[in-house]
Amino acid sequence: MPEPREMTSSNWDEENEPADASLPMPSEKMVGKDTKIVTTYSLNDEDKRVKHVRTYKIERKLVSKAVAQRKSLAKFGESADDRPGPDPATTIVAEEISMQFVANKEESEKDNEDKSALDVLKEKSKGVVKCRICKEDHWTTNCPYKETLGPLRDSLAGKDVDKEDDAGGSGLPGGPGATASASNVTSGGKYIPPSRRGGEGGARDRIGESMPDRRKNEDTYAIRVSNVSANALETDLQELFKPFGNIARIFLAKDRNTGECKGFAFINYYKKEDAARAISTVNRLGYDNLILNVEWAKPSGT
Amino acid sequence: MKPISLHGHDRAITCIRYNREGDLLFSSAKDHLPNVWYAINGERLGTFGGKNDRDRNSHSGAVWCLDVDWETKNFLSGAADNSVRLWDVCTGKMLNCIETKSAVRTCGFSFSGNLAAFTSDKQMGHPCIINVMDVRDFQADKPVMQVVIPDKGPKVTSLVWSGIEEQIITGHDNGDLAQWDVKSSQKTNIVSDHSKTVTDIQMSKDNSMFISSSKDTTAKLFDTDTLECMKTYKTERPVNSASIAPKFDHVVLGGGQEAMDVTTTSTRIGKFDARFFHLVFEEEFARVKGHFGPINSVQFNPEGTGYASGGEDGYVRLHTFDPTYFSFQFEC
Repeated sequence: MPEPREMTSSNWDEENEPADASLPMPSEKMVGKDTKIVTTYSLNDEDKRVKHVRTYKIERKLVSKAVAQRKSLAKFGESADDRPGPDPATTIVAEEISMQFVANKEESEKDNEDKSALDVLKEKSKGVVKCRICKEDHWTTNCPYKETLGPLRDSLAGKDVDKEDDAGGSGLPGGPGATASASNVTSGGKYIPPSRRGGEGGARDRIGESMPDRRKNEDTYAIRVSNVSANALETDLQELFKPFGNIARIFLAKDRNTGECKGFAFINYYKKEDAARAISTVNRLGYDNLILNVEWAKPSGT
Repeated sequence: MKPISLHGHDRAITCIRYNREGDLLFSSAKDHLPNVWYAINGERLGTFGGKNDRDRNSHSGAVWCLDVDWETKNFLSGAADNSVRLWDVCTGKMLNCIETKSAVRTCGFSFSGNLAAFTSDKQMGHPCIINVMDVRDFQADKPVMQVVIPDKGPKVTSLVWSGIEEQIITGHDNGDLAQWDVKSSQKTNIVSDHSKTVTDIQMSKDNSMFISSSKDTTAKLFDTDTLECMKTYKTERPVNSASIAPKFDHVVLGGGQEAMDVTTTSTRIGKFDARFFHLVFEEEFARVKGHFGPINSVQFNPEGTGYASGGEDGYVRLHTFDPTYFSFQFEC
């Protein structure tokens, strides 16, 4: 009875050894009755000798005569030159995988049903529902741009309220401010920090609040200076950029631990012309053995 | 389980079939050489045709279909090079070749292995033709049966023999399933349960029923004689192949995203797993991952101890079930 060669080549390893002219002969070793260890040698691309150790488990199986005869057939076609046993070039033991039993059939089905029901609803609500944020036909709470456009819109709404309040006089209950704030409450649905809230007190508070930076930044023109020397200080930059106009703010990026300059800074001018002049003059200027690079700062968050 | 991955092809697999005993696995791909493997260890026994005799005695186009006869003596393969070839399994030598007018899409041996059916595509002005040949006298001008599908008719995309030498069942690209009587060359029955191309038909072990898979994302179980649709297995992707387990009341479905859409989807979304359904309750109970392209052909091995799948990724994977599969109890 010819024995089928069951291959369970689970552990094989490679050992790199210095190149050698003669390769050792492949060897086969039987361990016990049903384990065979085959060692073969080959040269890899770098002329290093590679030793392949393959462990086979031999299973003996009773098969019908026809099958047994087919086990001893000569190989043909492209496999005619292959040695007995599986050729590692064409037969590879794949990674261990497991059959995943679907346990929660009902749940997964329900999911599908829910989805289809949602689709139906979507179909129905087409043209009826309109998102307040992006004007597409879905509910505002489901808007994919809720995170990005929503706050922006809120802040815009806040500005409107601001203006309207200024125009129509403050403190009138039921005025335009109240309606706007109502719309804000409904449109958001998620927590907005007081400082960002557009309606009612938020906008008005902001005027008197001692947080001028944000507003300042909005009306100023920032330029970005890079390739700044590590030894530079804010005062140095002030000296350098003061001649072009009034500076609103100077920000020099510093390393948190060493306090050294990280190599770039932002300068905010009140006037756009000043900023432009600073760029045209200081850009490509040699400063402390480095050449400064000055350009318009890109809006943050993009 | 640790599947054995067979890397004998360098193009997408089109068809895989076990022989009756299940010791050999035949595979064909869009490259030109069908392969045969020992199913027990994945050793390649040979290829039908080879680089040396490429011009005369091997296919020169994508091999679309294959079949092996009852005794594992003869092997049949049809290809896009407008030929169907008959091979000797033991030596890999080509015995005969029939040239057709268009690509050969499907082929199959009858129960005895004495008759062979094949169909050619509707292509370049040539109609789709169903041919039945006598294997012992395998010549193009001596068909046992020949049916020409009219120009407007649906082309045959899958074929299987049923009964004992008497009938063939064909699946068409509009979803129809037709039953033909070989002796009279007549269509005896036709059903249109599927709404899109029937991609594969496989018989159950006792030939009393068969499963058809379709691009309409379902596989259906039919009675062989009456073509009555008994069960429907629903998925959410095109099904390219389905097979009935010989041991349990299970079926396996293989499919996935259309090959042309694969590059635009991730493997997770593509759903390239083989999916196991209960034959009677039509409910999915397990999945097996592994391919990174749609599965084009699946079959249980005749003992029911494992299954093989061939995918668009060009690999054939031989799976042997873990004990968990055999101890699995379906809860309903």
